Formats: sequence, C-alpha cells, structure tokens
Amino acid sequence: MEQRAVQTQYAAGHGDPKKDAGSGTTCTGEVNGERTAAAASSSSSAVTEGWREERTRSVEDNEMSRPGLAAAYRTILSGLGEDPQRQGLLKTPLRAATAMQFFTKGYQEKIIDVLNDAIFDEDHDEMVIVKDIDMFSMCEHHLVPIFGRVHIGYLPNKRVLGLSKLARIVEIYSRRLQVQERLTKQIAVAITEALKPAGVGVVIEATHMCMVMRGVQKMNSKTVTSTMLGVFREDAKTRDEFLTLIRS
Amino acid sequence: MEYRTASETNGKHVAEYQNGFNADLHVQEEEGGRAGETETRSKLSRIQRAYSTVLTELGEDVDREGLLRTPLRAAKAMQFLTKGYHETTQEILNDAIFDENHDEMVIVKDIDLFSLCEHHLVPFFGKVHIAYLPNKKVVGLSKLARIVEIYSRRLQVQERLSKQIATAISEALEPAGVAVVIEATHMCMVMRGVQKMNSKTVTSVMLGTFQEDPKTREEFLSLIRKN
Repeated sequence: MEQRAVQTQYAAGHGDPKKDAGSGTTCTGEVNGERTAAAASSSSSAVTEGWREERTRSVEDNEMSRPGLAAAYRTILSGLGEDPQRQGLLKTPLRAATAMQFFTKGYQEKIIDVLNDAIFDEDHDEMVIVKDIDMFSMCEHHLVPIFGRVHIGYLPNKRVLGLSKLARIVEIYSRRLQVQERLTKQIAVAITEALKPAGVGVVIEATHMCMVMRGVQKMNSKTVTSTMLGVFREDAKTRDEFLTLIRS
Repeated sequence: MEYRTASETNGKHVAEYQNGFNADLHVQEEEGGRAGETETRSKLSRIQRAYSTVLTELGEDVDREGLLRTPLRAAKAMQFLTKGYHETTQEILNDAIFDENHDEMVIVKDIDLFSLCEHHLVPFFGKVHIAYLPNKKVVGLSKLARIVEIYSRRLQVQERLSKQIATAISEALEPAGVAVVIEATHMCMVMRGVQKMNSKTVTSVMLGTFQEDPKTREEFLSLIRKN
C-alpha cells in the first residue's frame, strides 16, 4: 500500500505532515503492536483513509455499474438453481443490486462533508456519550449483514461536535464491507482527528448473521469490540465511568 | 408425491432442476463418472465469478487481504442459505410418522427461522409457531423444525413460506387441522428502504379445524403468546 502523508483538515496547527503522521500513528500504533513499522503506518493510513482519500464511488458510478451488478445477480440466481424468469424474481437482480449499493454507500461519502459545519467551541470538558446508535454493516468475508449498537463517548477539549454527527460518522464507516474491529477503530480515529478531544471511547455490540444463519449457527451470540483512545485508555476511572454509563 | 408438487410453488423450476440432477446422479452411479460433481463445482465457480463482479462494481478492491477469498465464501454461504431447494419433505419425514391414539393439540413454538427475501436477497429471520391436531398419526417433533428448514432455506416471501409449511404438514399427516404463525423481522425493511428498526411482520395459516372452529384457534393463539 503506498504511503500517504497524514493530513488532517482539522489540525489547528495546520498540518505539518510529519508531525501529523506521528500523531496518526500513535493513535493506531498500539493495536498493531505486532506488525512492523512499515505495516503499522500503512494500516494507519488504511484506517484514516476516510479523511484524505477521494470518494471511491459517486452517484454516477452507481448508475453505471448497476447493469453489471444486476447481471451478476442474475447469474447467482440461476447458479443457485432458481428460475430468474418467475414472477417474484423478475426484478430481483436490479433490486438486489440497488440494495447492495445502498449497503455500501459509505464509499460515496467523506467525513469532511458530513462534519464541516458542526464543530463548536464550547468550554465543556465533561464526558459526552451518545449510546444505542443502531448500526448496520456487511461482513466483508461472507457478504451477509452485521447489525448491532454503537456507544460513543468522548471528553471534549474545548471543541464539541453536533450529536447527530457522531451517528453520521457511524453510518459512513458501517455502510461498507467491514470487519467489526476495523469499524470500531475507524470511528474512534475519525472523531479523534476531527475534534482532538482528550479521549474517545467506542464500544460496538453486534450480531453477525454469518455466525447466526450459517456456519456455527449460534443464535444468541454477540460480538463486542471497543477502542479506547487518550484519557479513556490511560485512566481506568474514566473508562469505568464510560462503561457504567453505557450499560445502564 | 402429491405434497411435493402442491407445496413447491417456488420450486417448480427447481424441482425440474432437481429431477435433472437426480437423473445425472443415476447416470453417475452407473457410469462411475464425475458428471454430477463437476456440475456442482462449475455452478459454484459461476457464482464465485459473479460475486467477484459484484465486489468490483461496488468500487471495492478485490485484491485486498480481507476480500481475497470473499467470492468463494459468499458463494458457499449463498448455497448454504438456499440449500432447501435440494431437500424434500418426503426424504425427512418418511421414517418419523407414528400411529398414536392422540387427538389433542400438539404445538412446537419458538422455532428460529432464517430465510432470504426473494426481492432483495437480504435475510429475514424470526420465529415459527406450529400446531396440529393429530388424526391418529403424529410426527417426530424435530421433523416440524426440519420442515421449516427445508422451506425457509430458499428465496422466499413470508406469506408463501407459511403456506408451504402448513401444506407440507397437512399433506404428510392428514391431521384434523394445522396452524402456522410466523413472526419475522425483514432486514430489507430495517437496513434499507423505510428503515423501521422495530417492525415485525406476522403471517399465519389456519387449515382444517383451526380455520373452522374459533375456539381451537383461540386456544392455539393463547398458548403461543409470550407470557
């Protein structure tokens, strides 16, 4: 993966690439402790790509790729032994194509578009929590839905974010082909880079249909992942307060 | 068999496919050839290639680590989720029908159900409650759940699914009555479109005594209600 300079649009000190690259790696380096430095930076750039990268897709791209997608789904239907000409399945390839594009619409959006206006200067330094955010994603390994709840907490450092923007950040990253661990980290890093808060905590509790509908078929299993950055990571009491508040 | 054709309303093409497949199997047994196997493998690779196209058209990078084997996994997952096409009620029920002098209601409730919406290819899941009034013949209890599996592991519409389950039991056992209630959440309504998180769809089929006698129906419905 080619190296990209980590530029953060919201850096008060106006991105010095090297300086920001350092802070970027610090955010993500802890998790990738086992990897080499090169891999760590490339995975950090992978995680923070929502900030810098051009949109992978546009609305026009969607229009153009829909016939190809529909044709692929028609092949899948006949490969499974169904009759694509029967009444219930006539328009299914197109519907499935549009649905899949909707489930991956996170590729069409950038964080900066969603957040630009809604960062406010407030002299508030107590914990802000938005919990029970419904999340729907797609397992990148089986192309089967994942759904659950996201709980986000952050300790502002003079800058607060419009509350719905936290949910929008969740939407951008979850409406993609995802792995729950990566999703958690992307949300946490996005908030960190936007607000430079004292700390961020993200907890995701989700049910994976790939485990429930097929494979091991464990109906009631839930997967919980969390990312704690800044004060949430260093101070156990802050972390405890966050975890207690999201539990109730 | 009668119940096979009556209830295979979304499997007519598949029944022919299955018959053709079985015919191939006979040929395969006779000739000791691998015709059936190669056919299955070629179907799998066609689906696999289709999923590769899907990933590329969605704008993803098919060569990144997490997606390398996804077309194969997705193809196999989809085959598993539609495995009901290759199963028939006849095969699973033949052994487990017993003569019992029992004519009171038998209910199996809270059977977990997972199916695929045939309109969007997105899962829907929920619970099935089945009741029947035996007429000298009772069926092994797990067979009711297996009937649910056969018909739910297909591209389905919830209305048709309820009817197919009820008809299959009706034709296999010839009971005095059959009732099937399905309560399901449709991801196509929750994850996209209207996006109503808490909506549930309930369908029911009442045959025989359950249809004619309101008291029987009432007894069934109160027994499956969550207390």
